[in-house]
Amino acid sequence: MARQAVKFRSSKHNMDYVLLTVVLFLVGFGLLMIYSVSSYEAGIEHNDSAFFLKNQAQNTVVGFVALFIMIKFPYKELQRFDVLAMIVSAVLIVLVKSPLGITRNGASRWINVGITSFQPAEVAKIGVIIYLASIIQRLETLGRNIIRTPKGLAIVMVPPTIIAGLVYLLTSNLSSAIIIMGIAVAMVFVAVPDYKWFVVIGVTGVAAVTALVAYVANTDMSSSNFRMGRIMAWLHPEAYSTDKAFQTLQALYAIGSGGIWGKGLGQSMQKRGFLPEAQNDMIFSIICEELGLFGALAIIILFVVLIWSCMVIANKTVDRFGSLLVVGVMAHYAIQVILNIAVVTNTIPNTGITLPFISYGGTSTLFLLTEIGIVLNVSKNCR
Amino acid sequence: MCASMDRYQNRAVSIQGDLMADRSRSKNSYRSRSTARVDRKKRRQQRASLNKIKTLKLAVMMVIILLAFAGLGGRLYILARDNQNNYQKKILSQQRYDSKTLPFKRGSILDANGTILAASEKVYNVILDCKVMLSDEKSQDPTLAALAECFGLDLAELRKFVSENPNSQYRVLKRRITYDEMSPFLERKNTHNTEAGKKGNEEMGTINGVWFEEEYIRRYPNNTLACDVIGFTGTDNNGTYGLEEYYNDILNGTNGREYGYLNDDAALERKTVAAVDGSTLVSTIDANIQAICEKYIKQFNEEHLNEVREGPGAYNIAVIIQDCNNGDIKAMASYPDFDLNNPKDLTGYYTDEQIAQMEEDETYYDALNALWKNFCISDTYEPGSTAKALTLAAGIETGRIIGNESYECGGFLEIADRKINCNVTRGHGTLDVSGSLEQSCNVAFMKMGEAIGVRNMVQFEQIFNIGLKTNIDLAGEARTASLVFTENSMGPTELATASFGQGYNVTMIEMVAAFSSVINGGYYYEPHMVKKITNANGDTIKNIEPRVLKQTISSTTSEMLRQYLYASVAEGTGKSARPAGYAIGGKTGTAEMVPRDKTNYVVSFIGFAPADDPQIVIYCVVDRPNVASQPHATYATGIVKNILTEVLPYMHIARTEEMTIAEQEEVDNILGNIVQSDPAQGEDGENGENGENGEGAEAGSEGENNTGGAAGEGQSGNGPLYVIDPDTGELIDPVTGEKAQMDYGMEDEPPEEGNGTPSAGDVQQ
Repeated sequence: MARQAVKFRSSKHNMDYVLLTVVLFLVGFGLLMIYSVSSYEAGIEHNDSAFFLKNQAQNTVVGFVALFIMIKFPYKELQRFDVLAMIVSAVLIVLVKSPLGITRNGASRWINVGITSFQPAEVAKIGVIIYLASIIQRLETLGRNIIRTPKGLAIVMVPPTIIAGLVYLLTSNLSSAIIIMGIAVAMVFVAVPDYKWFVVIGVTGVAAVTALVAYVANTDMSSSNFRMGRIMAWLHPEAYSTDKAFQTLQALYAIGSGGIWGKGLGQSMQKRGFLPEAQNDMIFSIICEELGLFGALAIIILFVVLIWSCMVIANKTVDRFGSLLVVGVMAHYAIQVILNIAVVTNTIPNTGITLPFISYGGTSTLFLLTEIGIVLNVSKNCR
Repeated sequence: MCASMDRYQNRAVSIQGDLMADRSRSKNSYRSRSTARVDRKKRRQQRASLNKIKTLKLAVMMVIILLAFAGLGGRLYILARDNQNNYQKKILSQQRYDSKTLPFKRGSILDANGTILAASEKVYNVILDCKVMLSDEKSQDPTLAALAECFGLDLAELRKFVSENPNSQYRVLKRRITYDEMSPFLERKNTHNTEAGKKGNEEMGTINGVWFEEEYIRRYPNNTLACDVIGFTGTDNNGTYGLEEYYNDILNGTNGREYGYLNDDAALERKTVAAVDGSTLVSTIDANIQAICEKYIKQFNEEHLNEVREGPGAYNIAVIIQDCNNGDIKAMASYPDFDLNNPKDLTGYYTDEQIAQMEEDETYYDALNALWKNFCISDTYEPGSTAKALTLAAGIETGRIIGNESYECGGFLEIADRKINCNVTRGHGTLDVSGSLEQSCNVAFMKMGEAIGVRNMVQFEQIFNIGLKTNIDLAGEARTASLVFTENSMGPTELATASFGQGYNVTMIEMVAAFSSVINGGYYYEPHMVKKITNANGDTIKNIEPRVLKQTISSTTSEMLRQYLYASVAEGTGKSARPAGYAIGGKTGTAEMVPRDKTNYVVSFIGFAPADDPQIVIYCVVDRPNVASQPHATYATGIVKNILTEVLPYMHIARTEEMTIAEQEEVDNILGNIVQSDPAQGEDGENGENGENGEGAEAGSEGENNTGGAAGEGQSGNGPLYVIDPDTGELIDPVTGEKAQMDYGMEDEPPEEGNGTPSAGDVQQ
């Protein structure tokens, strides 16, 4: 009895409170920024300046409920759901094309579940993390090099690739597909000792992208499709300032005009109808405008602390499954934050990627906080 | 050492094995090989090795992540460093600095009792901004539908306009609608947009791109009442004529402004400076007295419409009533009049063809200006015999006329080889001073003029401010300086004609102001129209006190003049101006116009009432009455009599004179005109009706006094039906001689009901 009590206390003690604090701060800061960014437009369009704030606050509450459930939930049980997670993810993505699916702005990315709607792509991300963590651990118990055989590699990589493909094809959500693939690659990267293949893949990818960009830049744009147009807009934002690059350019204006110290909280001009979707993908540019380079770097440092904490937890966790889960979550955050900031700064072409914990979005917030719950749960079992 | 070597070897083998990846190698062989090696130690070693790989790989991943963040941070820094000013400018150039004017509300014009004569009302123009509306394609249908339904516009036409002008930003769909007409649209927009903002209703589209431009328009609730005095104002807040023009700056406030500006931090701030509404004028005009004057002017006009020539009853008919003890103008009316709400409407005076013709030869605005100008202050004419009062005052004041003189009138007087006729060509015979005025004998006054002399005559002309503007607070007062005599221009003939008011020109207001000083003890008050200026909340900003400019004559002279003028009405030419029951003083005037061909005359009467204690001066001018024989002052005195018969009781001035039965009937007739407008109401209704028209006050509060006087003198039948028994002091029925208790109660009841205290009667019973 006494031993159990001590164990219980020590496990509580080991939970990573730094991580929790950072997440709480980011979520709180996110709500503040959503109000600051959206109040003007919400007041005009919804007659309620706190419209987006209220919705996001609800989402956050639901997210924290999920977070605390996941802290208590024995995460090792998740290992049972690996194949199920893939199947559920795939089915949900396919459902987007069913009558339950909701189409907004020309893309079917949502499923209506009566009281609310959610994005299956977000479910797929956590599903892929669970699947990979589980399958890698299982293969390793069979033999540590099984993953490195083609068959093992196929078992590990084919389901996430299918999911990513479905996400891209059915929901035309390239960014989520990229994130899913990124998570998969990162988890495998950590699991296997090899470098060479990753370097080869990376170099090939960069070369392919460079070639594509060079091709697009030199072709006649009359027959261009949607994605190619985005690439052109990325290369020459000023030339497409009225249509394709409008959002990007307005985001750049916001970032540039913020300077080092920003205009002050709530003082953004771009949020007043100039920057579309300011509370979603482009919230970071308004942060830059209002809080300046200083505020932006502070937020980046918070994300670094968050990712670093995940890394430490992953490192310290003896349990292979838990450790891989944390690696997946860490990769998810890192990829999403980096891509979001890269899009906002026009470092890469514009794809719709939200900034974790800060951007407006129900499903995204719910699953991001669920993942944090899993990480905190794993952190209890650290050495 | 050995273990680590082993592991290294093991790893090397496995990597090598992988590299050689032979498809034929079965899963079984893998499993058999690994299971063969499995033991506890190996497993622990494997885990340790996996952890080492993990640590290393995580470190590599972290480095990559940190590099990415560092790169992005660097990019952010470069963006902020290189583009701050450039992008700041871009942002600022996108902002809208458009400032919006918030219109002020022009002040109202009230009469002395607070009746609104002119007031501004906020109205709205409906503006459609197609560009804003079409920024969301879905907005078009609900927006146009709402516009069509709320403002009764043609939906098809709207659609056509929008499809043809998708970039139009300012299309006025409807002008000057009231708030009540506008609010249904706002409500609809609100409910629709709330509905459309809900989840799942995205396809509904919002109502967008419609806004309302505020504007004030001037409304004149009494239309033609006091039109010449008030003047009118268009939407530009620029008064034209009358009080609107004279007090334009006071009536106008300051526009507010809503604007955006850049503060010290180059941030856009929007600021609203509220409009300051204009001040309100409280006029000295009494709308009731004004209405009475206008009523009789119009009556005269109708009586003589198209009588001899095509057109109105006279070229001009005008009346001024002034409080002679402070210069307040109580009424200033003239005909032709016009509708202040529609001042450019000439259809009442001209046919459509004439108007079209006038528009062609550009005399249209001349005609309008002629209509708009205020005859009482803008037109000059020879005053005629009314000026004899001033001549006589000058004579007495200078001592050249003592009062015991007598004049012989033979019908004409020869001055400087010119024969100047008297108004009665056969002559008046011998007249004393009072008789000269009573008979309005020109010969006598020419002799008086001779006695007074050129110097005194011109001096008193100046004393009475003839030839000078009175500075009345109305726009458009005429200058008459060049139309009067100077010492140099006044020869014997001019002196003679000037003494009976011919040869020089005056305005009506000059005459009223001068005449007031003649009869009020010699105090020349500046005539004025406005007694108080208040701000938009009704707080007084400025009280305009009566201004005595000078003492024109001594109070004894004034006293004598009152006597003479009283006699002039009581016994002389002005008889027909006296309203029944009142003693008034005054002088008629019949001025022959240039050319002196005995056809065109300006007939007039100037008088004061009551004779013993003058309260008001009334001046009526009929310019060329539309009658066969013009030179009869009765055209003016008739109007004056009618007006005074109503105005004096309204002003609570008691009747002091006996009335004959004929007179009584006449009064009943005049006052009864109003009563009979609703005969079904009976006796009680009569009282109520009177009350509404202002005479009720007289009938109610002074009825007893009047009847008291009448009963005391043994006469019956003045106004109220009851008289006071001289013994008991109670009301009796004049027919039966019985106490009129029952009727008294009945008579008293209506006011009680009116006061909402019906219980009072019950308690008494």
